[in-house]
Amino acid sequence: MATSSTSAERAAAPGPAPVSPHPAGAARPPRRAAARLGLPVLLVLVAVVTVTPFAVMVLVAFAPAGGQTLPGALDVSRATLENFADVLQSADITRWAVNSLVYSLVSVLLILLFASMAGYAFAKKRFPGREILFWSFLATLMVPFQATLIPYYILVSELGGVDTYWGLIVPTLANSQAVFLMRQFIVQLPDELFEAAKIDGASEWRIYTTVVVPLIRPVLATLGVFVFLWHWNDFLWPLVIGQSEEMRTLTVGLATLEGENVAINQVMAGATITVIPCLLVFGLLQRYLTDSIATSGLKS
Amino acid sequence: MRKAATDEIAPDEGDGPRREGDGAPGASGGPPAGAQGDPRPSGPSGRGAGPAAKTARARSGIARRREALTGLAFVAPMLLLFIVFRFGPTLGAAFLSVTDYRLSGEWTFIGAGNYTRLLGDDLFWESLGVTVVYTALYVPMTVALALGTAVLLHRTLWMRGFFRGLFFLPYVTSIVLAAVIWKWIYEVQDGLLNASLGLLGAGPVDFLGSDSLVLPSIAAASAWKGFGYSMLILLAGLQSIPREVTEAATIDGASGWQRFRWVTLPLLRPVLFFVLVIEAILGFQVFDAMYVMTAGGPVRASYSLVYFLYDSGFKFFDFGYASAVGLVLFLIVLVFSLVQRRLIGRDAD
Repeated sequence: MATSSTSAERAAAPGPAPVSPHPAGAARPPRRAAARLGLPVLLVLVAVVTVTPFAVMVLVAFAPAGGQTLPGALDVSRATLENFADVLQSADITRWAVNSLVYSLVSVLLILLFASMAGYAFAKKRFPGREILFWSFLATLMVPFQATLIPYYILVSELGGVDTYWGLIVPTLANSQAVFLMRQFIVQLPDELFEAAKIDGASEWRIYTTVVVPLIRPVLATLGVFVFLWHWNDFLWPLVIGQSEEMRTLTVGLATLEGENVAINQVMAGATITVIPCLLVFGLLQRYLTDSIATSGLKS
Repeated sequence: MRKAATDEIAPDEGDGPRREGDGAPGASGGPPAGAQGDPRPSGPSGRGAGPAAKTARARSGIARRREALTGLAFVAPMLLLFIVFRFGPTLGAAFLSVTDYRLSGEWTFIGAGNYTRLLGDDLFWESLGVTVVYTALYVPMTVALALGTAVLLHRTLWMRGFFRGLFFLPYVTSIVLAAVIWKWIYEVQDGLLNASLGLLGAGPVDFLGSDSLVLPSIAAASAWKGFGYSMLILLAGLQSIPREVTEAATIDGASGWQRFRWVTLPLLRPVLFFVLVIEAILGFQVFDAMYVMTAGGPVRASYSLVYFLYDSGFKFFDFGYASAVGLVLFLIVLVFSLVQRRLIGRDAD
């Protein structure tokens, strides 16, 4: 069938060309060649446009003070680390980076732990209210975070969590997508595995740590990367809850750098520092990450 | 807070029937089967040799109770977090919106007071208008970019993985970062765009300083940042279309464009619609980009609904009023979600 279809295509060129509005077959082969070449060219063009903002950021970050105008910034021979040194000195940027790391890494660990535990229970345990709980967890996805920002803030500030790490981290741990992902993955694992462990006399906690966790390692990795990126890039919640300068995260710090009278070269140096962890994580796990978005977004 | 919105309806959409379906056999064929004392567990373990039906039932009752307890114990930490930090604040938002709660913590019940005040507040309507216009600009830009790149990647095999990763790159960065960079690109003095325009002999354009250009400019920056996500979903959608269908159209003599318009696009419609709604929901939540790039200006030309919420809450500490704005945002998002469910449900038939 396949061969006949391709030969039919070719045969159609000089021949009848039933539905095609193109008048003569003669025009077709060159158009085809153009298309074959045109698509990669188009790809490269879009890629250049996509990358340009990053390139601009890096060029300006390395350009000497005052040399941020375009032809000047392109002169790579004048590249300097000055802006990085300046921004590291003048702003609390190392402190902000530590805050971002604490916020992201602690959240990753706790979300992975609690979500996998809950996912295991939702997938493999029968208990009263299971379905209702699971669906009520999912239903919270319909409520945009901004809509509940005020009660969040009041709650955390009443509990004394403003300007603290726990105030920043704990409220973000109730993550429905994480629970959902874990449940969907664990449900597919064969029950026999858990039963065998049970027969061997393993406690439930032991089954969780020695059977469940090793089996779900791939989904833990994927989710871990996502949670890291979400938290690293988060803005509104850290903005609201980290009110003192020392409790800002990198994104919030970057936004305030922008607002103050800091030279653009230094802002771009700060931006470069902010984006490095994202690029590292992404570079290492690119295929993984893109595949899981493509499939999880579509699972229906 | 893109995380809350990105997968908005993804998990519970269309998955519903299937999940209930696979939940049921899992529940009946899984642990309870073992707990019922059928030959498999009792045989090898050697326990329960010739037990009366009564003891078996008692044992299964105990096993079931133990299973329920372990299940609850494993859910407990997450459940506690959800009760305190999700369900609580959601109810809290509804409650606050009918009070005049302020920073001091004192409040009185004012019923629909905040809502009638919203109706008469020009700033609210202005911010809603800005948000609608922004969304109307952002969604087509993003989806067009996503669809275009998805089709490109689908058609070309050449270095597909590389380009896919590259187009996805902006998505893994923060909106703040995108805003900082693009603000610089739009700069009147020596920004990239105006420097390029200068080379072409065109005068400088104040992209972020003009009230007619500010929203398209911000929308373009956000589209650059966000299109990768929709691109991946559309690409997966394209790849799920069976080859035979497009091949059949080719045999019938359809041109590339005809194939796309009459075969691919209709088959892609549910995915495309899903992506449109997700991006629209994101559009309505816009804040970070405006906060960093324009601070809502010039003269509130980019003052979005969430910006209005943020100012009401954290500039004027009018928590009750800000909560009412939050509820309006929630209702808008809810309508989008419901429309999507309706239409995708119908498409699936």
